[in-house]
Amino acid sequence: MKKVMMKGVEAIGEAAIKAGCRNYFGYPITPQSELTEYMARRLPEVGGSFLQAESEVAAVNMLYGASSVGKRVMTSTSSPGFSLMQEGISYIACAQLPAVFVNVVRGGPGLGDIQPSQGDYFQATKGGGHGDYRLIVLSPSTVQEATELTLLAFDLADKYRNPVLIFADGLLGQMMEPVAFEEKEITYDNSHWALTGSKNRPPRQVTSFNIDPYGLEKMNIELQKKYRQVEANETRYEEFLIEDADILIVAHGTVGRIAKSVVRMAREEGLKIGLFRPITLYPYPYDALSKAAQEKSLVLTVEMSSGQMLEDVKLAVCGKTKIEFYGRMAGVVPTPEEIFTHLKTLIRGQ
Amino acid sequence: MAKNHVFVGLYGSGKTELAINYAIKLKKDFEKVALIDVDIVSPYFRVRDFQHALEASGIVIVMPPQKIKNADLPVITQAVAGYLDNPQFKVVLDVGGDERGIVVLGYLKEHLFDTNVYLVVNTKRPFSQTVEQIVYVAKMLEERSGVRIDFLVNNTNLGSQTTCEIIYEGEKILQQASIILEKPIAFTVAADSIRYDGENELFRIERFVKTKEGLP
Repeated sequence: MKKVMMKGVEAIGEAAIKAGCRNYFGYPITPQSELTEYMARRLPEVGGSFLQAESEVAAVNMLYGASSVGKRVMTSTSSPGFSLMQEGISYIACAQLPAVFVNVVRGGPGLGDIQPSQGDYFQATKGGGHGDYRLIVLSPSTVQEATELTLLAFDLADKYRNPVLIFADGLLGQMMEPVAFEEKEITYDNSHWALTGSKNRPPRQVTSFNIDPYGLEKMNIELQKKYRQVEANETRYEEFLIEDADILIVAHGTVGRIAKSVVRMAREEGLKIGLFRPITLYPYPYDALSKAAQEKSLVLTVEMSSGQMLEDVKLAVCGKTKIEFYGRMAGVVPTPEEIFTHLKTLIRGQ
Repeated sequence: MAKNHVFVGLYGSGKTELAINYAIKLKKDFEKVALIDVDIVSPYFRVRDFQHALEASGIVIVMPPQKIKNADLPVITQAVAGYLDNPQFKVVLDVGGDERGIVVLGYLKEHLFDTNVYLVVNTKRPFSQTVEQIVYVAKMLEERSGVRIDFLVNNTNLGSQTTCEIIYEGEKILQQASIILEKPIAFTVAADSIRYDGENELFRIERFVKTKEGLP
Protein backbone atom coordinates (compact mmCIF):
# COMPACT_ATOMS: atom_id res chain seq x y z
CA MET A 1 0.00 0.00 0.00
CA LYS A 2 1.17 3.50 -0.82
CA LYS A 3 2.21 5.45 2.23
CA VAL A 4 1.74 9.15 2.85
CA MET A 5 2.92 11.39 5.65
CA MET A 6 -0.04 12.75 7.58
CA LYS A 7 -0.95 14.52 10.77
CA GLY A 8 -3.36 12.55 12.95
CA VAL A 9 -6.22 14.91 12.24
CA GLU A 10 -5.62 14.86 8.47
CA ALA A 11 -5.51 11.07 8.51
CA ILE A 12 -8.83 10.92 10.38
CA GLY A 13 -10.31 13.25 7.76
CA GLU A 14 -9.08 11.13 4.85
CA ALA A 15 -10.28 7.95 6.56
CA ALA A 16 -13.74 9.49 6.95
CA ILE A 17 -13.80 10.21 3.20
CA LYS A 18 -12.67 6.64 2.50
CA ALA A 19 -15.54 5.49 4.76
CA GLY A 20 -18.01 7.26 2.50
CA CYS A 21 -18.57 10.33 4.64
CA ARG A 22 -19.57 13.19 2.34
CA ASN A 23 -21.07 15.52 4.93
CA TYR A 24 -18.97 17.39 7.45
CA PHE A 25 -20.13 20.25 9.63
CA GLY A 26 -17.80 21.88 12.08
CA TYR A 27 -16.31 24.91 13.70
CA PRO A 28 -12.53 25.40 13.98
CA ILE A 29 -10.76 25.10 17.33
CA THR A 30 -7.11 24.37 18.19
CA PRO A 31 -5.58 21.73 18.17
CA GLN A 32 -7.84 20.18 15.52
CA SER A 33 -8.53 23.00 13.05
CA GLU A 34 -6.48 21.18 10.40
CA LEU A 35 -9.19 18.50 10.31
CA THR A 36 -11.83 21.10 9.56
CA GLU A 37 -9.53 22.63 6.94
CA TYR A 38 -8.73 19.24 5.44
CA MET A 39 -12.42 18.48 4.99
CA ALA A 40 -13.01 21.96 3.54
CA ARG A 41 -10.39 21.20 0.91
CA ARG A 42 -11.11 17.54 0.23
CA LEU A 43 -14.91 17.24 0.34
CA PRO A 44 -15.55 19.44 -2.73
CA GLU A 45 -13.04 17.23 -4.63
CA VAL A 46 -15.18 14.13 -3.97
CA GLY A 47 -18.57 15.76 -4.43
CA GLY A 48 -19.29 16.14 -0.72
CA SER A 49 -20.59 18.99 1.39
CA PHE A 50 -18.47 20.94 3.84
CA LEU A 51 -20.09 23.55 5.94
CA GLN A 52 -18.46 25.74 8.53
CA ALA A 53 -21.20 26.18 11.09
CA GLU A 54 -21.64 29.36 13.10
CA SER A 55 -20.89 27.42 16.29
CA GLU A 56 -20.48 23.90 17.67
CA VAL A 57 -24.13 23.98 18.74
CA ALA A 58 -25.14 24.62 15.14
CA ALA A 59 -22.72 21.96 13.83
CA VAL A 60 -24.11 19.16 15.99
CA ASN A 61 -27.65 19.98 14.93
CA MET A 62 -26.61 19.94 11.27
CA LEU A 63 -25.29 16.42 11.92
CA TYR A 64 -28.62 15.51 13.49
CA GLY A 65 -30.46 16.61 10.35
CA ALA A 66 -28.10 15.10 7.78
CA SER A 67 -27.91 11.82 9.67
CA SER A 68 -31.70 11.46 9.80
CA VAL A 69 -31.77 11.06 6.02
CA GLY A 70 -29.28 8.18 6.29
CA LYS A 71 -26.03 9.91 5.28
CA ARG A 72 -22.67 9.24 6.88
CA VAL A 73 -21.85 12.41 8.81
CA MET A 74 -18.95 13.67 10.90
CA THR A 75 -17.82 16.62 12.94
CA SER A 76 -14.64 17.31 14.87
CA THR A 77 -13.76 19.65 17.68
CA SER A 78 -11.63 20.04 20.78
CA SER A 79 -12.65 20.01 24.43
CA PRO A 80 -14.59 23.27 24.97
CA GLY A 81 -16.26 22.77 21.59
CA PHE A 82 -17.23 19.22 22.52
CA SER A 83 -18.86 20.54 25.69
CA LEU A 84 -21.01 22.81 23.54
CA MET A 85 -22.15 19.82 21.46
CA GLN A 86 -23.45 17.73 24.37
CA GLU A 87 -27.13 18.64 24.10
CA GLY A 88 -27.20 17.67 20.43
CA ILE A 89 -25.33 14.42 21.07
CA SER A 90 -27.95 13.41 23.62
CA TYR A 91 -30.68 14.13 21.04
CA ILE A 92 -28.87 12.10 18.36
CA ALA A 93 -28.38 9.18 20.75
CA CYS A 94 -32.05 9.18 21.77
CA ALA A 95 -33.19 9.44 18.15
CA GLN A 96 -30.93 6.43 17.40
CA LEU A 97 -28.98 8.07 14.62
CA PRO A 98 -25.46 7.22 13.46
CA ALA A 99 -22.92 10.07 13.62
CA VAL A 100 -19.16 10.22 14.11
CA PHE A 101 -17.58 12.77 16.44
CA VAL A 102 -13.88 13.52 16.92
CA ASN A 103 -12.68 15.20 20.10
CA VAL A 104 -8.99 16.14 19.96
CA VAL A 105 -8.70 16.70 23.69
CA ARG A 106 -6.76 19.66 25.07
CA GLY A 107 -5.87 20.85 28.56
CA GLY A 108 -8.76 21.93 30.78
CA PRO A 109 -10.98 22.56 32.60
CA GLY A 110 -12.39 25.85 31.36
CA LEU A 111 -10.69 27.58 28.47
CA GLY A 112 -7.59 25.64 29.61
CA ASP A 113 -4.77 25.56 27.06
CA ILE A 114 -4.09 24.03 23.65
CA GLN A 115 -1.74 21.24 24.77
CA PRO A 116 -2.59 17.49 24.74
CA SER A 117 -4.78 16.00 27.48
CA GLN A 118 -7.10 13.10 28.31
CA GLY A 119 -9.13 15.08 30.80
CA ASP A 120 -12.42 14.62 28.90
CA TYR A 121 -12.60 10.89 29.73
CA PHE A 122 -15.57 11.20 32.11
CA GLN A 123 -17.43 13.38 29.63
CA ALA A 124 -16.78 10.91 26.81
CA THR A 125 -17.53 7.65 28.61
CA LYS A 126 -20.05 8.51 31.32
CA GLY A 127 -22.31 10.76 29.26
CA GLY A 128 -21.46 14.44 28.89
CA GLY A 129 -25.02 15.26 27.93
CA HIS A 130 -28.30 14.59 29.72
CA GLY A 131 -30.22 11.37 30.09
CA ASP A 132 -29.55 7.64 29.92
CA TYR A 133 -27.46 7.33 26.79
CA ARG A 134 -24.03 6.04 25.79
CA LEU A 135 -21.43 6.98 23.20
CA ILE A 136 -19.21 4.30 21.70
CA VAL A 137 -15.72 5.69 22.39
CA LEU A 138 -12.55 4.69 20.49
CA SER A 139 -9.06 5.72 21.64
CA PRO A 140 -6.30 5.41 19.01
CA SER A 141 -2.61 5.48 19.94
CA THR A 142 -0.99 5.96 16.52
CA VAL A 143 -1.91 7.86 13.37
CA GLN A 144 -2.33 4.55 11.51
CA GLU A 145 -4.64 3.22 14.19
CA ALA A 146 -6.61 6.48 14.07
CA THR A 147 -7.40 5.84 10.39
CA GLU A 148 -8.50 2.27 11.09
CA LEU A 149 -10.66 3.29 14.05
CA THR A 150 -12.27 6.05 11.98
CA LEU A 151 -13.39 3.46 9.41
CA LEU A 152 -14.62 1.28 12.28
CA ALA A 153 -16.42 4.26 13.85
CA PHE A 154 -18.63 4.70 10.79
CA ASP A 155 -19.44 0.98 10.68
CA LEU A 156 -20.29 0.85 14.39
CA ALA A 157 -22.36 4.02 14.13
CA ASP A 158 -24.47 2.47 11.36
CA LYS A 159 -24.61 -0.98 12.95
CA TYR A 160 -25.95 0.29 16.27
CA ARG A 161 -27.50 3.54 15.01
CA ASN A 162 -25.58 5.35 17.72
CA PRO A 163 -23.10 8.22 17.87
CA VAL A 164 -19.45 7.13 18.00
CA LEU A 165 -16.61 9.26 19.36
CA ILE A 166 -12.96 9.16 18.33
CA PHE A 167 -11.19 10.24 21.51
CA ALA A 168 -7.78 11.59 20.48
CA ASP A 169 -5.49 13.90 22.36
CA GLY A 170 -3.76 16.93 20.89
CA LEU A 171 -0.47 15.09 20.43
CA LEU A 172 -2.00 12.34 18.32
CA GLY A 173 -3.92 14.97 16.37
CA GLN A 174 -0.83 17.03 15.58
CA MET A 175 1.93 14.44 15.15
CA MET A 176 2.87 13.35 11.65
CA GLU A 177 3.46 9.71 10.76
CA PRO A 178 3.46 7.57 7.62
CA VAL A 179 0.04 6.03 7.01
CA ALA A 180 -1.46 3.69 4.44
CA PHE A 181 -5.14 3.44 3.57
CA GLU A 182 -6.71 0.18 2.68
CA GLU A 183 -8.30 0.55 -0.76
CA LYS A 184 -11.69 -1.06 -0.52
CA GLU A 185 -15.12 -0.24 -1.79
CA ILE A 186 -17.27 1.07 1.06
CA THR A 187 -20.98 0.51 0.79
CA TYR A 188 -23.57 1.24 3.40
CA ASP A 189 -27.32 1.14 3.34
CA ASN A 190 -29.49 3.00 5.82
CA SER A 191 -32.56 3.01 3.59
CA HIS A 192 -34.54 0.77 5.96
CA TRP A 193 -34.90 3.53 8.55
CA ALA A 194 -33.79 6.80 6.94
CA LEU A 195 -36.18 9.63 6.17
CA THR A 196 -36.25 9.44 2.40
CA GLY A 197 -39.79 10.61 1.61
CA SER A 198 -42.83 8.49 2.40
CA LYS A 199 -44.18 7.99 -1.11
CA ASN A 200 -45.53 4.41 -1.39
CA ARG A 201 -44.69 3.58 2.22
CA PRO A 202 -45.90 4.54 5.69
CA PRO A 203 -44.22 7.65 7.11
CA ARG A 204 -41.26 7.16 9.49
CA GLN A 205 -40.41 9.23 12.49
CA VAL A 206 -36.99 10.16 13.88
CA THR A 207 -37.40 11.83 17.23
CA SER A 208 -35.90 12.17 20.68
CA PHE A 209 -39.23 13.16 22.19
CA ASN A 210 -42.13 11.34 23.79
CA ILE A 211 -44.45 13.23 26.10
CA ASP A 212 -45.82 10.00 27.61
CA PRO A 213 -43.45 8.72 30.33
CA TYR A 214 -44.37 5.08 29.61
CA GLY A 215 -43.67 5.65 25.93
CA LEU A 216 -40.37 7.36 26.71
CA GLU A 217 -39.44 4.59 29.11
CA LYS A 218 -40.01 2.11 26.27
CA MET A 219 -37.57 4.12 24.12
CA ASN A 220 -35.10 4.02 27.00
CA ILE A 221 -35.44 0.27 27.43
CA GLU A 222 -34.71 -0.17 23.73
CA LEU A 223 -31.57 1.97 24.09
CA GLN A 224 -30.40 -0.04 27.10
CA LYS A 225 -30.91 -3.31 25.22
CA LYS A 226 -28.71 -1.93 22.48
CA TYR A 227 -26.00 -0.87 24.93
CA ARG A 228 -25.90 -4.37 26.44
CA GLN A 229 -25.28 -5.71 22.92
CA VAL A 230 -22.52 -3.16 22.37
CA GLU A 231 -20.95 -4.19 25.69
CA ALA A 232 -21.13 -7.88 24.76
CA ASN A 233 -19.72 -7.52 21.25
CA GLU A 234 -17.52 -4.49 20.83
CA THR A 235 -14.81 -4.31 23.50
CA ARG A 236 -11.36 -3.86 22.03
CA TYR A 237 -7.94 -3.70 23.70
CA GLU A 238 -4.28 -4.45 23.16
CA GLU A 239 -2.12 -6.58 25.44
CA PHE A 240 1.65 -6.14 25.27
CA LEU A 241 4.00 -8.57 27.06
CA ILE A 242 1.53 -9.31 29.85
CA GLU A 243 1.90 -13.08 29.99
CA ASP A 244 4.99 -13.24 32.24
CA ALA A 245 4.62 -9.75 33.73
CA ASP A 246 4.65 -9.08 37.49
CA ILE A 247 3.35 -5.55 37.05
CA LEU A 248 0.72 -4.29 34.65
CA ILE A 249 0.54 -0.74 33.29
CA VAL A 250 -2.90 0.35 32.08
CA ALA A 251 -2.96 3.33 29.73
CA HIS A 252 -4.90 4.38 26.64
CA GLY A 253 -4.27 6.54 23.55
CA THR A 254 -0.98 8.41 23.34
CA VAL A 255 -0.18 7.48 26.94
CA GLY A 256 -0.63 3.83 25.99
CA ARG A 257 2.07 4.35 23.44
CA ILE A 258 4.37 6.13 25.86
CA ALA A 259 3.76 3.26 28.33
CA LYS A 260 4.94 0.83 25.66
CA SER A 261 8.30 2.63 25.74
CA VAL A 262 8.29 2.23 29.53
CA VAL A 263 7.67 -1.51 29.18
CA ARG A 264 10.63 -1.79 26.79
CA MET A 265 12.88 0.22 29.12
CA ALA A 266 11.86 -1.95 32.06
CA ARG A 267 12.42 -5.19 30.16
CA GLU A 268 15.93 -4.03 29.26
CA GLU A 269 16.61 -3.76 32.99
CA GLY A 270 15.12 -7.20 33.57
CA LEU A 271 11.88 -5.94 35.13
CA LYS A 272 8.83 -7.87 34.02
CA ILE A 273 6.31 -5.19 33.11
CA GLY A 274 3.39 -5.55 30.70
CA LEU A 275 0.87 -3.16 29.17
CA PHE A 276 -2.92 -3.35 28.90
CA ARG A 277 -4.23 -0.72 26.51
CA PRO A 278 -8.01 -0.25 26.24
CA ILE A 279 -8.98 0.73 22.68
CA THR A 280 -12.71 1.03 23.37
CA LEU A 281 -13.25 3.32 26.37
CA TYR A 282 -16.96 2.54 26.14
CA PRO A 283 -17.59 -0.35 26.14
CA TYR A 284 -14.70 -0.64 28.60
CA PRO A 285 -12.90 -4.01 28.48
CA TYR A 286 -13.65 -4.82 32.14
CA ASP A 287 -13.50 -8.60 31.78
CA ALA A 288 -10.27 -8.66 29.81
CA LEU A 289 -8.58 -6.29 32.23
CA SER A 290 -9.86 -8.26 35.20
CA LYS A 291 -8.24 -11.35 33.71
CA ALA A 292 -5.02 -9.56 32.75
CA ALA A 293 -4.62 -8.16 36.28
CA GLN A 294 -4.95 -11.56 37.93
CA GLU A 295 -1.89 -12.63 39.93
CA LYS A 296 -0.01 -9.42 39.20
CA SER A 297 1.61 -7.73 42.17
CA LEU A 298 0.66 -4.24 41.02
CA VAL A 299 -1.46 -2.40 38.47
CA LEU A 300 -0.22 1.09 37.55
CA THR A 301 -2.70 3.31 35.74
CA VAL A 302 -1.15 6.20 33.80
CA GLU A 303 -3.19 9.01 32.31
CA MET A 304 -3.03 12.60 31.14
CA SER A 305 -5.76 13.39 33.66
CA SER A 306 -6.29 13.35 37.41
CA GLY A 307 -7.26 9.66 37.28
CA GLN A 308 -10.54 9.40 35.43
CA MET A 309 -10.01 6.03 33.73
CA LEU A 310 -8.64 4.89 37.10
CA GLU A 311 -12.27 4.45 38.27
CA ASP A 312 -12.89 1.92 35.48
CA VAL A 313 -9.63 0.14 36.27
CA LYS A 314 -10.80 -0.18 39.88
CA LEU A 315 -14.13 -1.61 38.73
CA ALA A 316 -12.33 -4.15 36.56
CA VAL A 317 -9.72 -5.21 39.11
CA CYS A 318 -12.32 -5.24 41.89
CA GLY A 319 -9.86 -5.06 44.78
CA LYS A 320 -7.99 -8.22 43.78
CA THR A 321 -4.72 -6.47 42.92
CA LYS A 322 -3.13 -3.34 44.35
CA ILE A 323 -3.65 -0.30 42.09
CA GLU A 324 -1.45 2.79 41.87
CA PHE A 325 -1.87 5.88 39.72
CA TYR A 326 0.45 8.29 37.91
CA GLY A 327 -0.93 11.23 35.98
CA ARG A 328 -0.09 14.63 34.52
CA MET A 329 -2.76 17.21 33.86
CA ALA A 330 -3.49 20.40 31.96
CA GLY A 331 -1.54 19.59 28.81
CA VAL A 332 1.64 18.17 30.33
CA VAL A 333 2.72 14.97 28.56
CA PRO A 334 4.50 12.46 30.82
CA THR A 335 7.83 11.15 29.49
CA PRO A 336 8.71 7.44 29.52
CA GLU A 337 11.60 8.28 31.87
CA GLU A 338 9.42 9.94 34.51
CA ILE A 339 6.88 7.09 34.43
CA PHE A 340 9.68 4.54 34.74
CA THR A 341 11.25 6.44 37.64
CA HIS A 342 7.87 6.50 39.40
CA LEU A 343 7.42 2.80 38.75
CA LYS A 344 10.83 1.99 40.23
CA THR A 345 9.93 3.98 43.36
CA LEU A 346 6.77 1.88 43.70
CA ILE A 347 8.74 -1.34 43.22
CA ARG A 348 11.23 -0.33 45.95
CA GLY A 349 8.28 0.35 48.29
CA GLN A 350 6.82 -3.10 47.74
CA MET B 1 25.29 33.89 0.31
CA ALA B 2 22.07 35.85 0.79
CA LYS B 3 21.53 37.62 4.09
CA ASN B 4 17.99 36.36 4.78
CA HIS B 5 16.65 32.85 4.19
CA VAL B 6 12.89 32.34 4.24
CA PHE B 7 11.23 28.90 4.32
CA VAL B 8 7.63 28.66 3.16
CA GLY B 9 5.31 25.81 2.21
CA LEU B 10 2.25 23.83 3.16
CA TYR B 11 1.57 22.59 6.67
CA GLY B 12 3.90 19.80 7.67
CA SER B 13 6.21 20.15 4.66
CA GLY B 14 9.16 20.32 7.05
CA LYS B 15 9.84 24.05 7.19
CA THR B 16 10.61 24.16 10.89
CA GLU B 17 12.98 21.19 10.78
CA LEU B 18 14.76 22.74 7.84
CA ALA B 19 14.89 26.25 9.32
CA ILE B 20 16.48 24.92 12.52
CA ASN B 21 19.07 22.93 10.62
CA TYR B 22 19.77 25.81 8.25
CA ALA B 23 20.39 28.17 11.15
CA ILE B 24 22.79 25.64 12.69
CA LYS B 25 24.64 25.38 9.36
CA LEU B 26 24.89 29.18 9.06
CA LYS B 27 26.17 29.42 12.62
CA LYS B 28 29.21 27.37 11.61
CA ASP B 29 30.28 30.07 9.13
CA PHE B 30 28.84 33.26 10.59
CA GLU B 31 29.01 34.70 14.05
CA LYS B 32 25.61 36.33 14.19
CA VAL B 33 22.67 34.17 13.22
CA ALA B 34 19.04 34.72 14.13
CA LEU B 35 16.27 32.17 13.75
CA ILE B 36 12.87 33.82 13.60
CA ASP B 37 9.66 32.00 14.44
CA VAL B 38 6.78 33.72 12.68
CA ASP B 39 4.62 30.60 12.61
CA ILE B 40 1.18 31.95 13.46
CA VAL B 41 -0.71 28.74 12.69
CA SER B 42 0.98 25.68 14.28
CA PRO B 43 -0.02 24.88 17.86
CA TYR B 44 2.85 22.40 18.47
CA PHE B 45 6.26 21.48 17.00
CA ARG B 46 7.45 25.06 16.46
CA VAL B 47 10.91 26.65 16.68
CA ARG B 48 9.92 28.12 20.06
CA ASP B 49 9.52 24.57 21.42
CA PHE B 50 13.28 24.04 20.93
CA GLN B 51 14.29 27.48 22.17
CA HIS B 52 16.68 26.43 24.93
CA ALA B 53 18.61 23.83 22.94
CA LEU B 54 19.09 26.30 20.11
CA GLU B 55 20.05 29.26 22.26
CA ALA B 56 22.75 27.11 23.84
CA SER B 57 24.36 26.88 20.40
CA GLY B 58 24.57 30.67 20.22
CA ILE B 59 21.74 31.23 17.75
CA VAL B 60 19.46 34.15 18.56
CA ILE B 61 15.85 32.92 18.71
CA VAL B 62 13.22 35.52 17.92
CA MET B 63 9.76 34.46 19.04
CA PRO B 64 6.65 35.80 20.75
CA PRO B 65 7.14 36.95 24.38
CA GLN B 66 7.55 34.04 26.84
CA LYS B 67 4.30 34.54 28.67
CA ILE B 68 2.19 34.25 25.52
CA LYS B 69 4.33 31.80 23.57
CA ASN B 70 1.67 29.08 23.96
CA ALA B 71 -1.26 31.38 23.29
CA ASP B 72 -3.40 30.68 20.28
CA LEU B 73 -2.64 34.18 18.94
CA PRO B 74 -0.99 35.41 15.72
CA VAL B 75 1.81 37.39 17.33
CA ILE B 76 4.72 38.95 15.38
CA THR B 77 7.17 40.82 17.58
CA GLN B 78 8.64 44.17 16.60
CA ALA B 79 12.13 42.66 16.67
CA VAL B 80 11.49 40.58 13.53
CA ALA B 81 11.80 43.53 11.15
CA GLY B 82 14.91 44.69 13.01
CA TYR B 83 16.79 41.45 12.47
CA LEU B 84 15.73 41.27 8.82
CA ASP B 85 17.15 44.79 8.31
CA ASN B 86 20.29 44.40 10.43
CA PRO B 87 23.23 43.77 8.03
CA GLN B 88 25.27 42.08 10.80
CA PHE B 89 22.87 39.16 11.06
CA LYS B 90 22.24 36.19 8.84
CA VAL B 91 18.57 35.45 9.36
CA VAL B 92 16.46 32.32 8.92
CA LEU B 93 12.71 32.87 8.88
CA ASP B 94 10.33 29.98 9.68
CA VAL B 95 6.95 30.92 8.24
CA GLY B 96 3.68 29.17 9.18
CA GLY B 97 2.03 26.76 6.78
CA ASP B 98 -0.46 27.32 4.00
CA GLU B 99 -2.02 30.52 2.76
CA ARG B 100 -2.90 31.57 6.31
CA GLY B 101 0.65 31.25 7.58
CA ILE B 102 2.24 33.09 4.68
CA VAL B 103 0.24 36.30 5.05
CA VAL B 104 2.96 37.26 7.54
CA LEU B 105 5.39 37.67 4.63
CA GLY B 106 3.21 40.29 2.99
CA TYR B 107 3.52 42.32 6.17
CA LEU B 108 7.33 41.90 6.26
CA LYS B 109 7.81 42.40 2.51
CA GLU B 110 9.62 45.74 2.70
CA HIS B 111 12.26 44.14 4.95
CA LEU B 112 13.04 41.27 2.59
CA PHE B 113 15.99 42.64 0.60
CA ASP B 114 18.92 40.31 -0.14
CA THR B 115 16.65 37.38 0.61
CA ASN B 116 16.21 33.85 -0.70
CA VAL B 117 12.72 32.42 -0.43
CA TYR B 118 12.53 28.61 -0.51
CA LEU B 119 9.40 26.56 -1.12
CA VAL B 120 9.74 23.38 0.92
CA VAL B 121 8.00 20.38 -0.66
CA ASN B 122 7.40 16.88 0.66
CA THR B 123 5.69 14.93 -2.12
CA LYS B 124 4.49 12.38 0.45
CA ARG B 125 2.24 14.99 2.02
CA PRO B 126 -1.38 15.71 1.05
CA PHE B 127 -1.94 18.42 -1.59
CA SER B 128 1.67 18.34 -2.87
CA GLN B 129 1.94 14.87 -4.40
CA THR B 130 1.72 15.79 -8.10
CA VAL B 131 3.38 18.34 -10.38
CA GLU B 132 0.04 20.15 -10.80
CA GLN B 133 -0.49 20.40 -7.05
CA ILE B 134 3.02 21.76 -6.44
CA VAL B 135 2.66 24.36 -9.20
CA TYR B 136 -0.68 25.39 -7.73
CA VAL B 137 0.78 25.69 -4.22
CA ALA B 138 3.73 27.81 -5.42
CA LYS B 139 1.49 30.22 -7.32
CA MET B 140 -1.07 30.40 -4.53
CA LEU B 141 1.56 31.17 -1.88
CA GLU B 142 3.15 33.86 -4.08
CA GLU B 143 -0.23 35.42 -4.68
CA ARG B 144 -1.21 35.47 -1.01
CA SER B 145 2.10 36.89 0.22
CA GLY B 146 3.04 39.13 -2.69
CA VAL B 147 6.55 37.66 -2.34
CA ARG B 148 8.40 35.78 -5.08
CA ILE B 149 9.60 32.24 -4.37
CA ASP B 150 13.21 31.86 -5.59
CA PHE B 151 13.94 28.15 -5.06
CA LEU B 152 12.29 24.80 -4.54
CA VAL B 153 13.55 22.39 -1.89
CA ASN B 154 12.99 18.65 -2.11
CA ASN B 155 12.13 17.52 1.40
CA THR B 156 10.33 14.33 0.38
CA ASN B 157 10.24 11.93 3.31
CA LEU B 158 8.19 9.45 5.31
CA GLY B 159 9.83 10.26 8.62
CA SER B 160 11.73 7.32 10.03
CA GLN B 161 10.54 5.16 7.10
CA THR B 162 12.29 7.28 4.46
CA THR B 163 14.42 5.48 1.88
CA CYS B 164 16.61 6.89 -0.90
CA GLU B 165 14.02 5.65 -3.44
CA ILE B 166 11.38 7.82 -1.78
CA ILE B 167 13.69 10.83 -1.99
CA TYR B 168 14.39 10.22 -5.72
CA GLU B 169 10.69 9.80 -6.39
CA GLY B 170 10.09 13.26 -4.94
CA GLU B 171 13.02 14.67 -6.86
CA LYS B 172 11.55 13.56 -10.19
CA ILE B 173 8.20 15.20 -9.45
CA LEU B 174 9.92 18.37 -8.27
CA GLN B 175 12.14 18.55 -11.36
CA GLN B 176 9.06 18.79 -13.57
CA ALA B 177 7.51 21.42 -11.32
CA SER B 178 10.81 23.30 -11.42
CA ILE B 179 10.67 23.51 -15.24
CA ILE B 180 7.09 24.75 -15.28
CA LEU B 181 7.64 27.28 -12.49
CA GLU B 182 11.08 28.33 -13.80
CA LYS B 183 12.51 28.06 -10.31
CA PRO B 184 15.62 25.97 -9.64
CA ILE B 185 15.81 23.28 -6.96
CA ALA B 186 18.18 24.62 -4.31
CA PHE B 187 18.85 21.28 -2.66
CA THR B 188 17.51 17.93 -1.55
CA VAL B 189 17.13 17.18 2.14
CA ALA B 190 18.12 13.88 3.71
CA ALA B 191 17.98 13.14 7.41
CA ASP B 192 20.56 11.35 9.50
CA SER B 193 22.32 8.64 7.52
CA ILE B 194 19.94 8.01 4.61
CA ARG B 195 21.95 7.34 1.45
CA TYR B 196 21.67 9.95 -1.32
CA ASP B 197 23.63 10.18 -4.56
CA GLY B 198 21.09 12.03 -6.70
CA GLU B 199 21.58 15.03 -8.94
CA ASN B 200 20.88 17.85 -6.51
CA GLU B 201 23.03 19.40 -3.88
CA LEU B 202 22.48 17.51 -0.62
CA PHE B 203 21.54 19.18 2.64
CA ARG B 204 21.85 16.74 5.48
CA ILE B 205 19.74 17.44 8.54
CA GLU B 206 19.45 16.17 12.06
CA ARG B 207 15.90 15.57 13.27
CA PHE B 208 14.84 18.00 15.98
CA VAL B 209 11.10 17.97 15.59
CA LYS B 210 10.77 14.21 15.77
CA THR B 211 8.39 13.47 18.58
CA LYS B 212 10.23 14.38 21.72
CA GLU B 213 8.07 12.19 23.95
CA GLY B 214 10.01 9.04 23.12
CA LEU B 215 7.13 7.38 21.29
CA PRO B 216 7.91 4.02 19.72
